[in-house]
Amino acid sequence: MLLELQDVHVHYNKVAALKGVSMSVPENGIVTIIGANGAGKTTTLRAISGLTRISSGEIRFNGERIDNLPPDKIVARGIAQVPEGRRIFPDLTVEENLRTGAFLRKEKSGIESDIQEVFGRFPRLAERRRQWAKTLSGGEQQMVAIGRALMSKPKLLLMDEPSMGLAPVIIQEIARIIKAIVKQGVPVVLVEQNAELALGLANFAYVLETGTVSIEGAATELHENEHVKRAYLGV
Amino acid sequence: MSDLILQTIVNAVYAASYMSLIAVGLVLIFGVMGVINFAHGELYMAGAYVVVALYAESGMPFLVAVVLGLVFVGLLGLLMEISLFRPLRDNPLGGLIASIGFLLILQTTAVLGFGVRMAHIPPPTQEKIELLNGVVLTHQRLLVIIASVALLSLLYLFLHRTKYGWAMRACAQDREAAALQGISLSQVSRLAMFIGAGLAGVAGALTAPLVSPTPYMGHSVIVTAFIIIIVGGIGQLEGAIVAAILYAFVHTFVTTFFDGVIADITGLLLMLMVLVIKPTGLFGAKDRV
Ligand SMILES: Nc1ncnc2c1ncn2[C@@H]1O[C@H](COP(=O)(O)OP(=O)(O)OP(=O)(O)O)[C@@H](O)[C@H]1O
Ligand SMILES: [Mg+2]
Repeated sequence: MLLELQDVHVHYNKVAALKGVSMSVPENGIVTIIGANGAGKTTTLRAISGLTRISSGEIRFNGERIDNLPPDKIVARGIAQVPEGRRIFPDLTVEENLRTGAFLRKEKSGIESDIQEVFGRFPRLAERRRQWAKTLSGGEQQMVAIGRALMSKPKLLLMDEPSMGLAPVIIQEIARIIKAIVKQGVPVVLVEQNAELALGLANFAYVLETGTVSIEGAATELHENEHVKRAYLGV
Repeated sequence: MSDLILQTIVNAVYAASYMSLIAVGLVLIFGVMGVINFAHGELYMAGAYVVVALYAESGMPFLVAVVLGLVFVGLLGLLMEISLFRPLRDNPLGGLIASIGFLLILQTTAVLGFGVRMAHIPPPTQEKIELLNGVVLTHQRLLVIIASVALLSLLYLFLHRTKYGWAMRACAQDREAAALQGISLSQVSRLAMFIGAGLAGVAGALTAPLVSPTPYMGHSVIVTAFIIIIVGGIGQLEGAIVAAILYAFVHTFVTTFFDGVIADITGLLLMLMVLVIKPTGLFGAKDRV
């Protein structure tokens, strides 16, 4: 397994947000985490990236403990994140935003060709490369956030609700991009409230309920699960 | 009369240049680290006393003392980051109180080392340029203006053309998102403290022969710097520069044509006016602090 969480607990000021979460992410494909508001999806990704300290448990990447390393060290290991709400740098240009993603990389030529690759993937960003990122539409900002994360050449990509606040056409475009990323060999952990979308894309799924994994299984199985249907698919 | 106005403009340019150095340092530290450095005025004072110790008392060349002032105060900033701000990272109020403690330590050290009296510094140069009939600019003041413009230009190039410059701007905009790009917050904070403190130190060092340093000279400076930052918009480097120029012109003109107390009051009124009309400062973004 590429990434493993074992009995991870997280507390915010003594209040438990994760109460013993265990998950595994293989070397390829998409693992999705679905769940209601406040279930702990974002907290799980923040714990993996080192933005939030875990109070007990273990997180292993390639077999090595990464829990409670500082975030920059975790990026250096090869885990990138597209955070909830995109969090692009509003007063940097589109291109500068992308370049921050390559902060830890040394090879100049590789960075240049990857910038071109991102612009090839997102032609709308190429046209707007010198524009302030804050002037972009929501969908374009999401593309910047994804492109920025890819610029670190990650071995694993975490995505927190990439569909949030976007129109259906744009969501389809984002879905297409996620598939392309996985096809190029980068596994993805996809957090989504849009369970229909997530289960359609993913190979494996976890359902998070108030800080614990309530159901896990192949995405196709979960799509047929009665509880999942009722609670998350609205059928 | 027009000569007097021209002379006042020259004086205001001088005031704006070193005030910009101080205010930009303070804004940089706040932007990157989210802490208000209350000891900033005392870092300025420390820079002035480096010149007292090395130039006035030991006879080192003035410019060498100025450069060492920048480096020494920059290192003081680094020390603050490592010993105070980093351990108190998750506690902004703690950082603020610790910086007040550091201010008192610096002040006491200056009093113990140099006494409370004004230090007298022999002017490095007495020469002046006569711009028009009667309008003069001393070489000492010209040096402050040139050095400030040069340092601020260097800072601009650093922030916009280098990798660590980008990293600093990214941190100032969103610390967590910056950390998610592999930017080390501790590294960038150390850099911000070194540069921010160094700019305050070099401002003190450059102006030392013109102001007669005292251990308490930081007070009025920090008040001015806060006004400038509030007028310019908290966290906006360009805003701080424009606000420093604006403030220096208003303050210098009112001092010349009325007096210093009225000028201080006018400065505060200017700040209040901006707060009422545009609470985020002249250049502040709408929804960011
Ligand atoms: N910084 C914080 N301080 C205190 N409590 C927090 C903090 N962040 C999250 N929580 C709490 O932790 C729990 C899990 O939150 P989390 O953001 O992980 O949920 P989520 O599944 O991502 O929800 P959403 O779908 O709304 O994004 C919630 O009860 C939330 O209130
Ligand atoms: Mg969330």
